[in-house]
Amino acid sequence: MLQIFRRLWAVNWAEQWQYRANLLMYLLFWLVSPIVYLAVWTTVARSQGNVNGLTANDFAAYYMILLVVDVLTSQITIHVLAPEIQNGTLANRLLLPAHPVLTQVLVNNIAFKALNLIALVPIWLVLYALFQPTLNLNLLHVLLAVPALVLAFGILFLLGSALTLVAFWTTRVWALWNFYSAVFMLFAGHFVPLALLPPALQTLAKILPFSYTLYFPIQLILGKLSAADVAFSFGMQVVWLGLAYLIFHVLWRAGVRQFSAVGA
Amino acid sequence: MQLETIPRVVYGSTSFVSVGGTHSSSPIIVEALSKTYKVTDREGGFGAAVKSFFKRTFKEVHAVQQVSFQIGQGEVVGFLGPNGAGKTTTLKMLSGLLYPTSGSARVLGYTPWERQPGYLRSMTLVMGQRNRLAWDVPAADSFLLNKAIYRISDADYAQTYRELDELLELGPISRKPVRNLSLGERMKCELAASLLHRPKVLFLDEPTIGLDVSAQTRIRAFLKEYNRRTGATIILTSHYMADVVALCERVIIIHHGRLKYDGALSDLSRRIAPYKIIAVHLGGCDDCALDAYGTVLPGEDESGRKRIQAPADQAPAITARLLAEQPVQDLTIEDPPIEDVIERAFNE
Repeated sequence: MLQIFRRLWAVNWAEQWQYRANLLMYLLFWLVSPIVYLAVWTTVARSQGNVNGLTANDFAAYYMILLVVDVLTSQITIHVLAPEIQNGTLANRLLLPAHPVLTQVLVNNIAFKALNLIALVPIWLVLYALFQPTLNLNLLHVLLAVPALVLAFGILFLLGSALTLVAFWTTRVWALWNFYSAVFMLFAGHFVPLALLPPALQTLAKILPFSYTLYFPIQLILGKLSAADVAFSFGMQVVWLGLAYLIFHVLWRAGVRQFSAVGA
Repeated sequence: MQLETIPRVVYGSTSFVSVGGTHSSSPIIVEALSKTYKVTDREGGFGAAVKSFFKRTFKEVHAVQQVSFQIGQGEVVGFLGPNGAGKTTTLKMLSGLLYPTSGSARVLGYTPWERQPGYLRSMTLVMGQRNRLAWDVPAADSFLLNKAIYRISDADYAQTYRELDELLELGPISRKPVRNLSLGERMKCELAASLLHRPKVLFLDEPTIGLDVSAQTRIRAFLKEYNRRTGATIILTSHYMADVVALCERVIIIHHGRLKYDGALSDLSRRIAPYKIIAVHLGGCDDCALDAYGTVLPGEDESGRKRIQAPADQAPAITARLLAEQPVQDLTIEDPPIEDVIERAFNE
């Protein structure tokens, strides 16, 4: 298995590298909205002193960490897999004795992520110089964030893949994806830090998986969580990883059966 | 691996199972395999589009109907039929990409559409113009990826690669990015990538499509040699009769999803088109009355000879009469072109 990942990495890294200009455009597009929220919220907080107790520095720190966490945990499965399902080229991968999503698509995601991360560094440094947030990082929190980020990516990768598998049944999967993205951004803490959401939505956010993939790692890194919160959130991550895998697995089995390789 | 022996069955008047016969070791056993597609059916135009949005009508397409055959170890079988006959659908079912509507198939003891790793590791499907290779990197990288995915040991890989390299001359082309290869070069790499794991069963769907004549000849020679060396069982579809004639002793013809013929290629003309072509060149007689000897075909052959079509059993007698009654300078008796025979088989 390790061999497969090593070889896949070699191929995917080289392929992503071919499209680095493309990828930079995608990253810039991806970064626009958090940077806008960063600018808007820090301006609002600065003009009023604070927003519900969050200062301009809180917002700046939050969004600066969000930029990194988002790149580390986001996934692009729909862009890779949906076209292959729709035009039938998935057939080529189905012939191989290795799970196409859990090997090829996964490594493709990781290679994309690695390149994105490299491109993010200079952008992040410029933003840091502009907003000069006080981050107060400590080693324990950063170390704890590593498994939290891995679990978060696992959840989002499996959920994103499961959603993409709907393409086996309908060509309208992109509409579903847009809806999913909006729900994700609201409940993960993209638009606003979750503490600012109305109480009902905050409760919902505690049940849904999304806050555990973005808000939780950010707050963990910033040292804003109690030990009990951290333990609970890790527990929820594990539960959602299991559920996401189950959904993915069931859809995959049914989807491959449905896949009639039309035009392949 | 357990293989059941099923009784030999004769299908229809023009079909029989002969060459492959019933081997207890037949790696491919197909029984009453059928596939029906459900496709939306609507006319063109906006009105029809709106109507179909509310009430979709479906049409059933019987792509493959009750097809049965067995193929013995090491056989190379040509799978023939016009476009839409059901060839590719059958190959897809046998390689596990499609679930059949009914019927059964056992390949190497596996049910293909269960897609067990053991099965996927011992067969391959090559579709012309299809990409198993990563587009932006040299084929060599894809080869190494396949080595990992198929869990090929270093020693086996080295040996198989050496053989493939020798037959296909991969050396220089495997180091260029795939997108910079010509179609012929890419096809060689596709074949190599598909064969590194030494599959015991090969499904080849138009492996020479789009290639120039010399590339076709090389791929053909390669397949023949691969079959000889490894004893692999091969089913091949092709629009090029030359592929079939060069590689396949046995052909299976399907048309409208049904099996029409299963037997030796050499018997095909005897059964389907039992006539001969007598080509003659007559000295000093441009329009002698050849009609008396049989049906005169329009035009002339490449040597400028007239061609007479005659029933196979009467050909010797007709030839004798021709030689006795006409100023014959040159005469040959030929089998009808295989394309014509197959065309006839389709149309029966």
